[in-house]
Amino acid sequence: MQTFNLPDVGEGLTEAELVEWRVKPGDTIKVNDTIADIETAKSVVELPSPFAGVVRELLVAEGDTVDVGAPILTVEAEGAEDPSSASEGGATPEAPADTSDTSVLVGYGNGGEAKTRRKPKTHEKVLTSSIGVITKPPVRKLARDLGVNLLEVSGTGPAGEVTRDDVVRHADQASVFRNLSTPAWPTERERTVPARPANVDPRYDAVPVKGVRKATANAMVGSAYTAPHVSVWTDVDATRTMEFVARLKKQPQFADIKISPLLVYARAVLWAVQRTPEINSTWIETDSGAEIQVRNYVNLGIAAATPRGLLVPNIKDAQDLSIRELASALQDLTFTARDGKTQPADLAGGTITITNIGVFGMDAGTPILNPGEAGIVAMGAIRQKPWVVDGEVRPAWVTTVSGSFDHRIVDGDKISRFVADVAAVLEEPALLLD
Amino acid sequence: MRFLEPDGSFAPTPEAEPLRAIVEGLDDATLEQLYRDMAVIRAFDQQATMLQRQGQLALWPPSLGQEAAQVGSARAARAQDTIFPSYREHVVAKIRGVDPVSILALMRGTTHGGWDPADPKNGNTRLYTLVLGTQTLHATGFAMGLNFDGRTATGNPEKDEAVVVYYGDGAASEGDVHEAMVFAASYKTPQLFFLQNNQWAISVPVATQASAPLANRSAGYGIPTMRIDGNDVLASYAASRMYLEEARAGGGPRAIEAVTYRMGAHTTSDDPTKYRTRDEEESWARRDPIARMRAFLENRGASEAFFADVDAEGEALAADARERVVNLPNPDPSSMFANVYSEPHALMDQQAAWLAEYEASFEGDAK
Amino acid sequence: MTLETMPFVRAMNAGLRRAMEEDGRVLLMGEDIGKLGGVFRVTEHLQRDFGEDRVLDTPLAESGIVGTAIGLAMAGFRPVIEIQFDGFVFPAFDQITTQLAKLTNRHEGLLQMPVVIRIPYGGHIGAVEHHQESPEAYFTHTSGLRVVSPSTPNDAYWMIQDAIASNDPVIFMEPKSRYWQKGEVDTERRGAPLHASRVVRKGTDVTLVGHGAMVSVLLQAAAIAEGEGRSCEVIDIRSLSPIDYDPIVESVRQTGRMVWAQEAPGNTSIGGEIAATVSERAFYSLEAPIMRVTGFDTPFPPAKLEGTYLPDADRVLEAVDRAFAY
Repeated sequence: MQTFNLPDVGEGLTEAELVEWRVKPGDTIKVNDTIADIETAKSVVELPSPFAGVVRELLVAEGDTVDVGAPILTVEAEGAEDPSSASEGGATPEAPADTSDTSVLVGYGNGGEAKTRRKPKTHEKVLTSSIGVITKPPVRKLARDLGVNLLEVSGTGPAGEVTRDDVVRHADQASVFRNLSTPAWPTERERTVPARPANVDPRYDAVPVKGVRKATANAMVGSAYTAPHVSVWTDVDATRTMEFVARLKKQPQFADIKISPLLVYARAVLWAVQRTPEINSTWIETDSGAEIQVRNYVNLGIAAATPRGLLVPNIKDAQDLSIRELASALQDLTFTARDGKTQPADLAGGTITITNIGVFGMDAGTPILNPGEAGIVAMGAIRQKPWVVDGEVRPAWVTTVSGSFDHRIVDGDKISRFVADVAAVLEEPALLLD
Repeated sequence: MRFLEPDGSFAPTPEAEPLRAIVEGLDDATLEQLYRDMAVIRAFDQQATMLQRQGQLALWPPSLGQEAAQVGSARAARAQDTIFPSYREHVVAKIRGVDPVSILALMRGTTHGGWDPADPKNGNTRLYTLVLGTQTLHATGFAMGLNFDGRTATGNPEKDEAVVVYYGDGAASEGDVHEAMVFAASYKTPQLFFLQNNQWAISVPVATQASAPLANRSAGYGIPTMRIDGNDVLASYAASRMYLEEARAGGGPRAIEAVTYRMGAHTTSDDPTKYRTRDEEESWARRDPIARMRAFLENRGASEAFFADVDAEGEALAADARERVVNLPNPDPSSMFANVYSEPHALMDQQAAWLAEYEASFEGDAK
Repeated sequence: MTLETMPFVRAMNAGLRRAMEEDGRVLLMGEDIGKLGGVFRVTEHLQRDFGEDRVLDTPLAESGIVGTAIGLAMAGFRPVIEIQFDGFVFPAFDQITTQLAKLTNRHEGLLQMPVVIRIPYGGHIGAVEHHQESPEAYFTHTSGLRVVSPSTPNDAYWMIQDAIASNDPVIFMEPKSRYWQKGEVDTERRGAPLHASRVVRKGTDVTLVGHGAMVSVLLQAAAIAEGEGRSCEVIDIRSLSPIDYDPIVESVRQTGRMVWAQEAPGNTSIGGEIAATVSERAFYSLEAPIMRVTGFDTPFPPAKLEGTYLPDADRVLEAVDRAFAY
């Protein structure tokens, strides 16, 4: 059965009134027989049938206004129903009533209906946080990359706009290392100080040395006065580390894990340990004399400020972990420490330590070795500083790699090479592919 | 100038006498062919109108009523001549060898062209031009080229080329037409300006375009002009034949005003009931070119079988047109960029690539 | 308030009628505009009601029409010309650009050219060559001319009257695909100023801008986007020369993103001008470059390809997506 849709008979018409039907259901019609009179905005037009056959149904009534494209008539192809129709006409060959393109040829303007081939998508709500902030597009991008909310930045530009420096300055260490793996300084300190008895001197507070405080103190003394500490440091351009971190964050595989420069630091230390294994040693006093045990596994300790105090939980066999596993382990370690749930087993058996003093805004330090270890690396703040590139002074993300080492176990050359290696990775994370 | 009265009787007017020999030299086969050409194209033309009403064509400009003017001139041209049509010369194109369905393809919106003027089978028929009158300048320029190349006026009518350009009474007001005549006269082009005065430019009567006979214009430019009854195919043939031979012989441009009538609407978008009367249409119907020629042939003894055969050919052409037009392929989107320039163009490549990628981004939905 | 619902062409007709009633010096000129009422019936019955001295069926010569209209303007008339289709304006291009646009300047302000040239433009009606073009950039590029384009019947009704009342030459672009679209016309309350942009839909995430037939495409895109969780503001510029930038800039300052859409080919078009100016004025607010959705830089294709050529809601939304990739 064929359907005739109302065509646009006059260059852009959208509708027509069906004035009069010239056929009725049951009539046998030939191609080009007039089936109806229609009136458009331009004129009255006779509509010829594109089909031959028997009229089935008139789909609109006289007087109706019909949209272009709407079906108006159906026709049963000749011979399909009424055998007597074969006697009509005679030898005139009817062209096969091809309906391959009975759709209306011409467009009919842009009606209100929304037509689309597009797959429906859902979009997150647009962050309106930067509406109203005056700043240049590149600075917007920088703010986005650094995770800075422009609304919180005060602009110092001549037009009151937020400048690049404003954004950078505002990106304090807590923001830069947004996915920090060591806990933030607790906002509420548990007071361990009991209520002051009435008869104590009001010009000082007495804090008894107990628990972690006592253990830490003992450990520090023990370490400091047993192992001769030597500290070295070097500055390095860590721009590529920052970029690497940013790129990793965008990877779907890392979508659910906190990524920060500490991850790169940790990997750098592991890489440097491979090249200078003596750093990953311990000094043992035995009955037959002293012994340096160079360990072929790394339990990487991360110094963490916890509600209970300074703890150094370690990641066992960190050398075997992939980047993702390492990131995951750092995250677990952090959360556990922050929750105060670090277990003794986590604290035991460390072989080398990283202490993150950058989070406190420090560049470098001379940390005290975790007792039994030969090296402790201090991770400093990564900030924009002048750096010389090809003879020109340019801003770069600069950081200081510093650390303290047991001079009984390693000499200056090994110490320096180790520190240099860590710095080298920070400068070029691609070395990790080695 | 006329040979055939509307009733088909052979009655040359005084202006026709000098050309009588041309007409009397036509054999029965040729005369019957003239009739056949007109009747068959009318069947095609009416089918095309139907197809538009059925949504298969965007537009159709009917040549209804102008068959004699067009057939006579087309048959008078020689194979080596070049034809510059406007947009209503369907039978001219057909006679020259253009597949009529190509014209349907143009009106259907699948192409802006439809055929290759350089292909010998198209008989040197240039494309239809929709901006009025522009083709007259092109025709003049082409004819100037014939002169420069010595492709005309060598004294050999079998080889000497000429140009026929068709335009109408409305287009005759456009500046381009006048400039074309100025150039043609100046350069003595081998050219026939064939003006079909069909009385109407959409709704504007020829009286608005011209306060004096249109034939006066070309004459005023120094171009010998004949004013003929455009509904008399013999007059059209004879005048065109004579003038084309004179033009190709180096005589310079010639012009014919063929007074005829646009029996149909300007195009299928038009409604003549708004600006002309039934009476006028009927009076011209009584001067129908095809009926006139039929009567003439019947008087000369043409058989019923002949007319039946012509009718059948018309119906066959119409049916063929219907079947083929609905199956005309839609153009590929990439074709938009393919022929904007003749030489490579970076912007075209860029945009074509963009579109291809964009279209591919929708899954499984052809537009 | 008298609100009537009518198609764009009737609104045009009513606006012309009112202008002719109010000023006896207003003349209509064009091909087929008298008896026939225009091929789109815009001038229907006006010759019947105002006579052949005020509604002229001219000879078929666009240059002749514009040139004689200039002369009529010199004689104190206010001619309103109809060019039958966009693709046919070019014979008149010389008279429009070298004469009409420059006569006031040539006379050092002592002569006015209150001539309106109405041109149906744009595609989406499946027509043949030269009947679906968008040549507005040729005119916006010509100083001395004003160029406007109404997108709704109400704008059509009022803007044609304002254009006729203007003492400058106005190219009045009528989006022909909108001719039969109906809308409400308030025949008592004057519409927005002739050269004012207008926010037609409020939104917060991105600003969509266009004119003529494109406005409804932008609204379609905005409706679809809303279903996807994006809020689009849509602005109809209404005037192509001069362009009222303030509402656009204000909007982009809020949204930070803009998509411009036009049927005309993109190369050196109005879209480029608007993108550059808005970039300049709203630079500090931009989250992404200004996107432009345009016709391709080819001749307008055969009708079967017009759907591919002309920007539709999908093309607009694709540009919106690109704007959000920044």
